Amino acid sequence: MIAKVPLKTSFIELRARDRAAAILDTGTFQEILGPFDRLESPHLAPQNIVPQSDDGVVVAQGLIDGESAVVIAIEGAFQGGGIGEVSGAKFAGALELALRDNEHGRRTRPVLLFDTGGVRLQEANYGLLAIAEIGSAMVALRRYVPVVGVIPGMVGCFGGMSITAGLCSTLIMTREGRLGLNGPEVIEQEAGIGEFDASDRQLIWNTVGGAQRHATGFADVLVEDDVTVVTGAVQDAFRRGVPAEHRSAQVDRYLSRLAGIDLKHLDGPMLRERWGKERGEEPEELLKSPDGQGGQTGEKGPVSRGRVWLEALCGGSQLPMTGSSSVLCTDSTLGDERVRYISVVPDPDNRFPRARQGEVGLNEGWTLARVVRDAVDEDVDGERRAIVAIVDVPSQAYGYREELLGIHQACAAAVDAYATARLAGHPVVALIVGNAISGAFLAHGLQANRILALDAPGVQVQVMSKKSAATVTRRSIAELEEIAKKVPGAAYDIRSFASLGAVHGLMGGIDADAPGDKEIQRILNALSDAIAAARSGPRDLSNRLTSVEARTGRSASILVRERMTEQWN
Amino acid sequence: MEILTFEYTAAKPLPRRAHVGVVSSGDLEILFEPSPDQRTHVVVRTRFDGYGEIWKAVLDRFFAQHDVAAKIEINDFGATPGVVSLRLAQGLEVSRS
Repeated sequence: MIAKVPLKTSFIELRARDRAAAILDTGTFQEILGPFDRLESPHLAPQNIVPQSDDGVVVAQGLIDGESAVVIAIEGAFQGGGIGEVSGAKFAGALELALRDNEHGRRTRPVLLFDTGGVRLQEANYGLLAIAEIGSAMVALRRYVPVVGVIPGMVGCFGGMSITAGLCSTLIMTREGRLGLNGPEVIEQEAGIGEFDASDRQLIWNTVGGAQRHATGFADVLVEDDVTVVTGAVQDAFRRGVPAEHRSAQVDRYLSRLAGIDLKHLDGPMLRERWGKERGEEPEELLKSPDGQGGQTGEKGPVSRGRVWLEALCGGSQLPMTGSSSVLCTDSTLGDERVRYISVVPDPDNRFPRARQGEVGLNEGWTLARVVRDAVDEDVDGERRAIVAIVDVPSQAYGYREELLGIHQACAAAVDAYATARLAGHPVVALIVGNAISGAFLAHGLQANRILALDAPGVQVQVMSKKSAATVTRRSIAELEEIAKKVPGAAYDIRSFASLGAVHGLMGGIDADAPGDKEIQRILNALSDAIAAARSGPRDLSNRLTSVEARTGRSASILVRERMTEQWN
Repeated sequence: MEILTFEYTAAKPLPRRAHVGVVSSGDLEILFEPSPDQRTHVVVRTRFDGYGEIWKAVLDRFFAQHDVAAKIEINDFGATPGVVSLRLAQGLEVSRS
């Protein structure tokens, strides 16, 4: 007699809807906001792009291993799996409802099937806001149930969504999956071919490929591309439960690992050897790196808005600083409030050359997490101090070493820390005084309860430089500027961003480079009001959708959540 | 992007709504719903302008062969006539299954 050999079925080759159905127990798939609900993107047709009826995200409820679950699957074939306003709201809304279930004692297991290049550039800041909301819901949800992510492959998982992957309790990848913050083409565009040759396939797989990510500890499980195997790995992840410490919370471990890395000889195989051996071990004692990482930061660095405002708000430069040469942190008082001010600043001696201009790089992401978590730990039994993120970040660091050493994970650590602080009751306020860009803004600012911004030249919010955005979307810069007039989320100026409803105060008449005493006092008053509002307001990010501006500026984000709540079982 | 509409007379009702395809390069998405009348209503949104004649030829031929009263929405990202016919046939199949 011939034994039946089960046929291998590729998971990668399935479309998003079939992937979601494969993860759920047979016959339990129930789609929420499916194609016939016709919640498509309102922003694509005006840009001459054909929309898709589900906007490229499939949300399905059902059972996993007999327990209530929700699967969120991104369709990588539609617009590269880019997160726009509707697809982002479906993703975030499903996690928020899963969180509500868990808070009410009903365990709902969330599974995220990634296949995405990150923010959909045509909808830029709508996607950025959605990714912040996704991160916020995940950090809250992980307290109850593991959040399981899968990167099967085709597009992979890039951009802001790599930070989302970095927040997962368990991350499952195939060898065909790729995970990184900045795609190879964007690094080549921003930093030059000497930094990263986007045509070098082997280099790419040895940097962001599933096998490399698994061997260096950025993914937990490496699976074969087979439906049964992937589904089994998801079930196993839930059986293991919530990890004792999420990867994005292992701050000491990663700061110590980074300090011990020899940057001159760093490459994929070398990292596999270094970090592969360390896997599963206890964190080492925090090493001091050659640049004095973790040490004193008294040295006066270059002038930047981040530094100017930190000193202005704390009343001088003589205060003791913690953090590092590129992440300044100091405690001060504002009325009755204790306030921790944090700013990312340029550091010409940064041992990572791609993070010398004030970018959020590896050390910056993990150090932000460190200084925020220190405040949370110190205040655990007392009044939670306010945390003010002074935002002047030109971008995340674009570089080969950054990707190899997991800059997405460093950014996820900062997101985790700020969200954790906010959920613990710390009022978190972001003050945008300069650039607030992309992954850097996601890591430093976008998890705040309240966002204040200066209405001044040089204050802008965007997801990618115009040059790179033009390359990726195959448009001219003039075309991009024309689109920005029609789609406020695609514009770069702070007033357009404020029209989306996430900015609680936009303050004009202030010299952002050299503020006078009266101007500083105005900002201190505004911060004081924002801290008070945060103390009495919600601990999640829901107020971004209840503002007057959001009703028109993000009407699709609101509609998606309303309709989803109606259909949720 | 161009929007095209077509109408055909039909007698047999569509059994159930159906959804096939993805708006990805060389492919298209089609939504089938039962028609409120004895006609087939087709709305095409296509990425590429100026192919109205080819769309008409493909759809005329398909609905000459398939008598089905349906509301059909097509979101196209450059599917060839062959792919369009295959997806239409697949949609009818899904509706009947």
